[in-house]
Amino acid sequence: MTDHATPPDGETPDDEPPDGGAPVPTDSVDAALASLDSDGVAGYNYAYLDEHTKRELRRSMLKAVAIPGHQVPYASRPMPLARGWGTGGIQASLSILGPDDIFKVIDQGADESVNAANIRRLAENTADVSTTTDTTEADLIQSRHRIPEEVLTDEQRLVLQVPITDALRMVDSSDAANRRRHAHKNYGKMWVHLYENVVEYGEIQIASRYPTMVADRYLMDPSPIPRWDVPKLDDADHLTVLAAGREARIYAVPPHTEVEPLAFEDRSFTVERFPGRACHACESTDTYLVEVSEGATESETDTFETRYTCNDSSFCEKRRTNPGIPKDHHLDREGVDWGPELSDVATDDAENATERGGNDE
Amino acid sequence: MGYVAVTAGEELVERAEQLFESQRVGDTEDVSVDQIDEQLSRLTARAMGEGGLYAPRLAALAVKQAQGDTVEAAFLLRAYRSTLERFDESVTVDPSAMIASRRVSPAFKDVPGGQILGATRDYTQRLLDFDLVGGSPEDPTAEWDLTDEGDPDRLTNVTELLREEGLLHDPDEPDVDDPADTTRESVTHPAERDEVLQELARGETGAVTALGYSTLRGYGRVHPTLAEVRVGELPVRVEHPYTGDDVTVTHTNVTESEAVVPVYEKRDDPQFAFGYGLTFGRNERKAIGMTVLDASIQLESEEAPAENAEFVLDTIDGMDSFGFIEHLKLPHYVTFQSILDRIRAIRERRGLSEDRRVGPDDQSAETPVSGTSDDD
Repeated sequence: MTDHATPPDGETPDDEPPDGGAPVPTDSVDAALASLDSDGVAGYNYAYLDEHTKRELRRSMLKAVAIPGHQVPYASRPMPLARGWGTGGIQASLSILGPDDIFKVIDQGADESVNAANIRRLAENTADVSTTTDTTEADLIQSRHRIPEEVLTDEQRLVLQVPITDALRMVDSSDAANRRRHAHKNYGKMWVHLYENVVEYGEIQIASRYPTMVADRYLMDPSPIPRWDVPKLDDADHLTVLAAGREARIYAVPPHTEVEPLAFEDRSFTVERFPGRACHACESTDTYLVEVSEGATESETDTFETRYTCNDSSFCEKRRTNPGIPKDHHLDREGVDWGPELSDVATDDAENATERGGNDE
Repeated sequence: MGYVAVTAGEELVERAEQLFESQRVGDTEDVSVDQIDEQLSRLTARAMGEGGLYAPRLAALAVKQAQGDTVEAAFLLRAYRSTLERFDESVTVDPSAMIASRRVSPAFKDVPGGQILGATRDYTQRLLDFDLVGGSPEDPTAEWDLTDEGDPDRLTNVTELLREEGLLHDPDEPDVDDPADTTRESVTHPAERDEVLQELARGETGAVTALGYSTLRGYGRVHPTLAEVRVGELPVRVEHPYTGDDVTVTHTNVTESEAVVPVYEKRDDPQFAFGYGLTFGRNERKAIGMTVLDASIQLESEEAPAENAEFVLDTIDGMDSFGFIEHLKLPHYVTFQSILDRIRAIRERRGLSEDRRVGPDDQSAETPVSGTSDDD
């Protein structure tokens, strides 16, 4: 600030704080800076956020649980992570984590993703939690765009990171208009959109962020989980909290809530198909797979080989050492009650899939 | 995999951070925080304005750490600000209490208090000054013959003259006793004017400028006449905890702008509309852009982007837009797999062959769309 007659000591006339404690020395900016350069997170509150903020978040979550699928506004704080990178999820996680909790963070199904690592590091450093990659061991799982393959129990909580809070955003960009639609349970515009999809493409072309009715009342954007994961929310044992930092909204799917993706009688909801594919590492055919193109560049030609691999890297690891363990191996009951029907997926080959598509007509 | 891979992920994060930091260090002399504060005050002004925290030294540190990226610097300030305790709220200050070092009023040739050109490059030729390569530490004003003429006069606001004549529409009076705090309460639409002004004041300079420009360019009705553009020091006053008197504790350097807009508010009593802009530090284009947007938003129309409060507030924030634009770099293979599934299903339905990969042989295998579609 050299342009003008600023007092020479800049912004120094710092008043002494009234009683109540001073988290940072305020007698001079240099002292404040000096107090901070020792350790990145020293001097911050437990779990980074102040207690008032955490309480506000928990209250928003309670409200969200009380009104399943309804978006509850909250004052999203600026976090030391970029907005759009999981700031809503981490605020929700940090407000409900305690020192005895075991925390798992996954990004696109992987614990080892660098962004997941960064979020996990923040929780470890500030909330003093232990972390795990094992879904069954975690008390709280924060995830970007996946629900784990292993069945979650009523003792576990799932926090999904949300980029876009409203399913209706697909058909109208105005939140003011969409809030009115939610209030009136007026989802006609979304139905028309789906119908036009069918007319134009023969089927609904929404890939992820599939519009889903919660408890037959609110239309919800389930975050960009693949369609594969949407049925897992229906009548689940666990609590799912969906938190958006940038858009400052929290919503929830409480345990044992009816969750139903929108579809027509003659165009049913379908999950992603992996006809005839299996994970190249663990040979699973009942998990969400992603394709990996690996260049055979060491040979002389520019050919690529496409391989399919489990997206849930932690469960894939388990299946590699313990082939074929079911998704509910850790529970006292039998029968996989999680995710899409096995028969639909594992046995289809490409032809069957085409045929099935045809039968839909 | 497992724990090993997780550790590897965290190590990667640290290494990447170290590489980034090494780019700042370089082979040349370290830039001091003081140098940034004094010599690059336009950068710190942007960081403070967009960060919503007036702290020049911290802003200089943030600019240094962000390697000159002002949005990143503003982000550092906001993240830091959100952890600070709030001791008190300052007393609402009248902008005419500003000690202006620059004051331009394009609406009239002469105004009470006069025009103050102050420090500006507005009328200089934009030529690269190669003398600066070698450094020119001499202050060209060192030889100026200055006399102390005492405290400056309080400047009468030009808009006051128009208000007295009843020419200026008064916008809804914001609730100054209990203003909204959009950092503590998320904005829902329709937003109150105090919320709009707060969000605009923290808006990203480029976004404020671009959206403000859009209406001048024809996407909107507002083409204002500026009544005031001022740069100066505004006192920060708080109520003394014991005496109860208002006391000035410091000053903030701000840029303020006010405009009248010939959009006649009421047919039976035609008045100018009014726009207001204020930002920390010296940032005239942002203050003026904000003024244009404030005036546009008050029209409450959806005809032009700048007149739609929801559109403007949803896109103006640098933290939001920068974060979400850059998040596209994060892995998206789960969602992309889902998208692949959809497009393949739709192509199958149209009878297009499924297994076509890129390669020279595949051209012949292409099935013409028209012949095979089983579209209904």
